[in-house]
Amino acid sequence: MFYKNYAVRTDLQAALASASCHNSMDFDSPEEKEFPGLYASEAVDAKSKKSKEESDFSEGDHDKHSKKDLLIGRRKDKKEKGKDRGYAALEGESSPEEELDTKSPSKSKKSKTFKFTSSKSKEKREKSRDKEKEPKGPEEDPVHKTKDKEKDKEKERHHDDKDHKKKDKERKEKDKKDKSDKKDKKDKKSKQAQQEDSIGEEEVLALGYPIFGVSISLATERSRCHDGIDLPLVVRDCIDYLQQEQSLKCDHIYKVEPIKTRLMHYKRLYNNREYDASVDELNIPTACSLLKLFLRELPEPVLTTDLVARFEEVASHPKVTEQQAELQQLLEQLPKCNRTLLAWVILHFDAVIQQERYNKLNAQSLAMLLSPTLQMSHRLMVALLCHCANLFPDVKLIKYVPPLTSASPGLPDTPEDIQTELRKQDSLLTQIHSEMNAGFISKKREEQLWEVQRIITQLKRKLRSCEKKQEKSIDELEVTTSVTSTQPAAQQAVPPTVPTANINEDTVDSMSAPSQMNTSEHQPDEPNAPATPPPNPVEYTIDKQTGYLLLPKTNPQRDELLRLQMEYDELIIWQNELKARILAERNEMFRLKQLYEQEAQKPQAAPQTSQEQLPAEADYERIIEHYTRENALLEHKKKMLGKELKAERRACIALQVELRMQHF
Amino acid sequence: MSKKPTAGPALHKVIMVGSGGVGKSALTLQFMYDEFVEDYEPTKADSYRKKVVLDGEEVQIDILDTAGQEDYAAIRDNYFRSGEGFLCVFSITDDESFQATQEFREQILRVKNDESIPFLLVGNKCDLNDKRKVPLNECQVRAQQWSVPYVETSAKTRENVDKVFFDLMREIRSRKTEDSKATSGRAKDRCKKRRLKCTLL
Repeated sequence: MFYKNYAVRTDLQAALASASCHNSMDFDSPEEKEFPGLYASEAVDAKSKKSKEESDFSEGDHDKHSKKDLLIGRRKDKKEKGKDRGYAALEGESSPEEELDTKSPSKSKKSKTFKFTSSKSKEKREKSRDKEKEPKGPEEDPVHKTKDKEKDKEKERHHDDKDHKKKDKERKEKDKKDKSDKKDKKDKKSKQAQQEDSIGEEEVLALGYPIFGVSISLATERSRCHDGIDLPLVVRDCIDYLQQEQSLKCDHIYKVEPIKTRLMHYKRLYNNREYDASVDELNIPTACSLLKLFLRELPEPVLTTDLVARFEEVASHPKVTEQQAELQQLLEQLPKCNRTLLAWVILHFDAVIQQERYNKLNAQSLAMLLSPTLQMSHRLMVALLCHCANLFPDVKLIKYVPPLTSASPGLPDTPEDIQTELRKQDSLLTQIHSEMNAGFISKKREEQLWEVQRIITQLKRKLRSCEKKQEKSIDELEVTTSVTSTQPAAQQAVPPTVPTANINEDTVDSMSAPSQMNTSEHQPDEPNAPATPPPNPVEYTIDKQTGYLLLPKTNPQRDELLRLQMEYDELIIWQNELKARILAERNEMFRLKQLYEQEAQKPQAAPQTSQEQLPAEADYERIIEHYTRENALLEHKKKMLGKELKAERRACIALQVELRMQHF
Repeated sequence: MSKKPTAGPALHKVIMVGSGGVGKSALTLQFMYDEFVEDYEPTKADSYRKKVVLDGEEVQIDILDTAGQEDYAAIRDNYFRSGEGFLCVFSITDDESFQATQEFREQILRVKNDESIPFLLVGNKCDLNDKRKVPLNECQVRAQQWSVPYVETSAKTRENVDKVFFDLMREIRSRKTEDSKATSGRAKDRCKKRRLKCTLL
């Protein structure tokens, strides 16, 4: 058994070796050079993880360890050899060459990658993992490798597609033939026979942070939907596309395979964050397969390694009602992003089978097609589909509207829309920053950073001006009327008087008004209040003087209720005052307007202004400038005072309430 | 990077740096919108774009207004890296802000790794000359040390506001032309030459 594992590993390493060699020759990613330390940390993580695992497994590695250090520098020739061997090696064989190969420096870390999780004992360690995404050089490999293995292990438990196997083998043979031709897409596979699997393809990844083949949380983090729904963008885009009515009704959905190169093209676009809906529109087969590809390449099933077995157990539960409750319970234990992903995928599949009339897919047949992709049994998938409406009542499939770009026609107009857009842009900005901090820096990214920042600035400015408009609406009217009277003297005189007047009113109001208005306000309420009590089971009395409802002293909510009633009264009073003031100010505005019109008709108005203009032109301009500035300043002070007054009034109300609480 | 007359107007990227409250945003807003904002609201980061005519040629200027506060230093590098020219602002009424310019200069040089990056030392709030805490000659000495121009501005009165932005754009522009001329092999020579030129200025 052990030998078998060993052989697999060497094969894999051989494949890796050629991959990394290939990469370093063909792709000189600038990121890698500029930030050599970048991937190191990942490698270290992987390493530490591995070293733990290794302790379970040290016997086997023992041999290699001792030699590993001696063999530095012989990587290249070994690689070629290893590669040949990669496909020719027999199970259980561990020839000296392979041994040497495993020790080449770039792979010394990798040699430890074997991960034995739960099922260490049953070892069908057939690993075949495509080595896509590795233009970043050897250090990152271990991470993927570990993950890949895990994933494969999971897959073993489920049904693997047979055709994949076939394809695999075909490809392998081909590979062997033209391995000299490095440009060819290459699938790096170890060849243990029972391998399913996939579309390994070497891709030019501009950044070392793929979306495919990493955990759900990582994929989500790396390609967010910026509207607060935690799904990887690729999943969201595919589902959005397929949720369109014509897609759901199309009888090709989930049945027709796309052109492979096209699929890979999209995968690359997403991995490189270059997808642009306006340029590359998806089609139905591609969207289906892209979604499946994403799910299939997850290193862990959506239902997680820990919980998948329990899900399966529940799925075989005879009682449907209990099944739902138990599924519910298990779903709550899933990580949030797994749950979201599962919810979206299942609800989408549900939408597909709703259109059975058109697309000829029902729960059974769809589960047949897709349960392997989701790494769950047919039965479990049918169960999830059957309960999905109750399992995910809170999830709605909403079409994603990406953040605006500078190419977008215009900014939103209402404050709410602006706020929503701001949140999206902020989320996008955060992502750009974190990617840049992680070393993913390109000209394009920098452009985007500035652009997003610019949009945010514009949105903020617009929001501010919206707020200002609202705040001022009433006062502003007054100011503008006075400003239209053009005379600088008048301009200066009017605005300051308005605020002072307001202040006086306000302070006076808060002192005197409450007590007077209080009684009058509540008189009318009294007749109504007694009418309601009888049907109410809670005992309470009515205070004759104020009309307040009083609960018995024993009731803990007595004070609370009383306080709320008092506060309510106070606020009503305040509201009335403000209404009265608005009315008064409207009248004043009207009066001033009339006055202005009268003045304008009088011929005497002219000489007055000309007197003002006596100073030289420049002086005159300076005066205007001075007053404009002064006015702005006063306006601002007024606003601040208004705010203070509001706060004080609130404090007053609170005190008033407390004061009156004493009476009860 | 270099300007291509065929592909739209040239774009110059300017970054405002300096301690909090020295008037980076005020200068920017005055330049962009001819407005002077009295109330102080700390900036996290803001970015603006404007079309201007620079010596008869239409160009675009991107201005990135950064946070003065240390709290945002983490994201600063990302911006600095993409900046082509820097306005390093301090307030002539606040000596600490003047001292802080040293650190900003160092941070910029660290990120850009280029001594001759277009850079202006800007003493703002020159309308408050009566409250001046940083003597003029001290500012000039520092500017000389760094081989950069020194300009005093007032965002309030708009004094020299256009000047600093336009001077900086000119530096960026000439720098770009030089870059496009210089072959990669001569890149180092260019740096030296450039430095000499600056000291003469």
